[in-house]
Formats: sequence, structure tokens, C-alpha cells
Amino acid sequence: MPEHSEQITWMKLSPSIRNFFLPALNKSLLRRILITGLSCYLIFTYLLIPMRIQGHSMEPTYKNGSFTFCWRPRYLYAEVKRSDIVTVRLSGKNTMLLKRVVGLSGDTIEFKEGILVRNGKEVVEPYVKYRNPWNLKPRTVESGYVYVVGDNRGTSMARHRFGHVNQNRIMGGVIP
Amino acid sequence: MNKIVIAMVILIAAATVFFLLPDDEKKIRHNLDTLAEHFTTTDTDKSLATLQKVAQAGKMCSDPCAVQFLSFKINRDFDRKELTDHILMMKKMLSTTRFTFHDTSISFPEEHKAEISTTLRLTGKIASDQFTDAYEFDIGTEKIDDKWLFSSFTVVEFMEH
Repeated sequence: MPEHSEQITWMKLSPSIRNFFLPALNKSLLRRILITGLSCYLIFTYLLIPMRIQGHSMEPTYKNGSFTFCWRPRYLYAEVKRSDIVTVRLSGKNTMLLKRVVGLSGDTIEFKEGILVRNGKEVVEPYVKYRNPWNLKPRTVESGYVYVVGDNRGTSMARHRFGHVNQNRIMGGVIP
Repeated sequence: MNKIVIAMVILIAAATVFFLLPDDEKKIRHNLDTLAEHFTTTDTDKSLATLQKVAQAGKMCSDPCAVQFLSFKINRDFDRKELTDHILMMKKMLSTTRFTFHDTSISFPEEHKAEISTTLRLTGKIASDQFTDAYEFDIGTEKIDDKWLFSSFTVVEFMEH
């Protein structure tokens, strides 16, 4: 009985709320639905692409099965910086790799017993929790390229996909 | 009013015909999906069914078929027997793996030839560990005897140590 009374009171006293949730089917509503649908399509297809993470290469920063968004305009007016997490495309934007930038054009990158060495100096990487003793001879990142690697260095070097990648393959940054 | 209805019916009929009629691009996309199905392996696959799938996958490729996978130092032509042997070996290694193609674009540089750019996604289990992997492929196809056959597979190496 009290529940029924509350319902009646709600319907009587809040027509604006009732109209918001149960609006009349008219041209205005159809226009709103169309605009909302179109906006969502454009935003979530071209600007803020939802991504489900499959794989362990960025653990513990991004865990297998978690969600994030790729923010496409991230590097429209900004340069890629070291430590940025970027999405790298393959043949399109439905499957992308999530990696961290550790070297920019001209940088010399090497791994010594699992420690990243950039331009001859050891890099402190608080985001790396799992580390195997990777050893990679120094190499200089070419112009127009960046050097990317995942945060999970607990696998063997052969099984982890990392290296220099053309900047035009970077699709954007990630949020959050 | 009647004219509008007739125009709508004609428009819908034209759109239906357009979407349902098979063209070369649709045939190639269908072939890719079929190839992925033939590569896919499950726990319950019987040996005979596996052999049939491998044979069918082999028949979808030209003889010889060029394969380039530089990370594995492969860059040569494979005849059909060799190709099916390798497919069978791969299916045994990846005994519970789903193959799917994504982000596929197809261009026709010449008559009876098409170039495909696509991403192969693998999801499955190796020794009870879940794994996911993705490779970008450039695939060449040729129309031989009115059939589109895969003539080359190149793994695009866009990330190098």
C-alpha cells in the first residue's frame, strides 16, 4: 500500500521526470534519438574507441580482460613523449597493440639484464613489476620511428613483441 | 502517395539486389572466412575431420603458393603438399585456437588479381594458458578457372627489435 501511494505521488508530482523517462513518441523524440545515436557512433568510432584488452604484455598497468579507450586526437597537436602509452594499429583500428614508448627518434636503446638503458643511462621504470634478464645490443631509433615495449617484461624476449615502429602507426593515446 | 511507395519499393529492391549479388570482393571475403574456419582447431576435432579441413585449406591456395614470414626466416614458394603439411603441423601445435580475420581491405590492381590487407587474430589455449596474438598480413589472390585462390601470404613486420 505505501509503495502504491509513493508511485502515485511520484507520477503526479514529477511530470517532467515522467516525461524524461517515458516521453511521447513524436518528431522531437525521434530527432533526439537520431542525433544521440549518430553522435555516439561518430564519437565511439572515430574519437574515443573502446578497447577490450586481451593479453598480458602491459601487465600490471593494464590487465587481461580490462577495458580502456583509445583517444584518437591525442597526438593531433602534441608530440609522442617517452613513457606515453600508445595504441599501435595493425591493418586497421579493430585490433591494436597497446605499448609504452621508451625511445624517440635518435635515442639509443638497449637492455642489460632486463634493465632498460636509454642513451647510455639506466632508466627507472616504476611501472615494470615483472622482469626477465633481457639483453639487447644498443640500437638507434630511426627518424620518424619510436621504440615501444610492453610493461610486462616477465616473458622471454622472443615471446614479447616490441621494437621500433613507424609513428604513422600510432593511433592515439589511452584514457584512462 | 502511390508514387512515393513505388519509389521506396524500387529503392529497397535495388538495395537488396546490390547487397545480395555476389561480387569478387564478397567472394574473396567469404574465402578468407572459410580459410579461417579451416585453420581453427578445437579439442573435439576428429583426425579425419582435421585432415579434410587441411586438404580444403590447401585447395584454396594456388600451387605453388608464396609465403614470407621473415621472423621465422621463411621466404619461398611452397607446393601444395608442403603447404598442407605445414598447416597440419600448425593445427597440431595450436590444438585449441580460433583464427579470425579483421580489418580487411581488398584492392584490385589488375584484372583477375587482388591484394588483401588484413589482421589475423588468434585466440586460444596452449598448455591451459589462454593466449591472444595478432599478425598483419598482405595476401595475394588470383582468379584461376573462375575461382579466387590465395597465391601469396606475407606477414607484415612492422615492429622490429
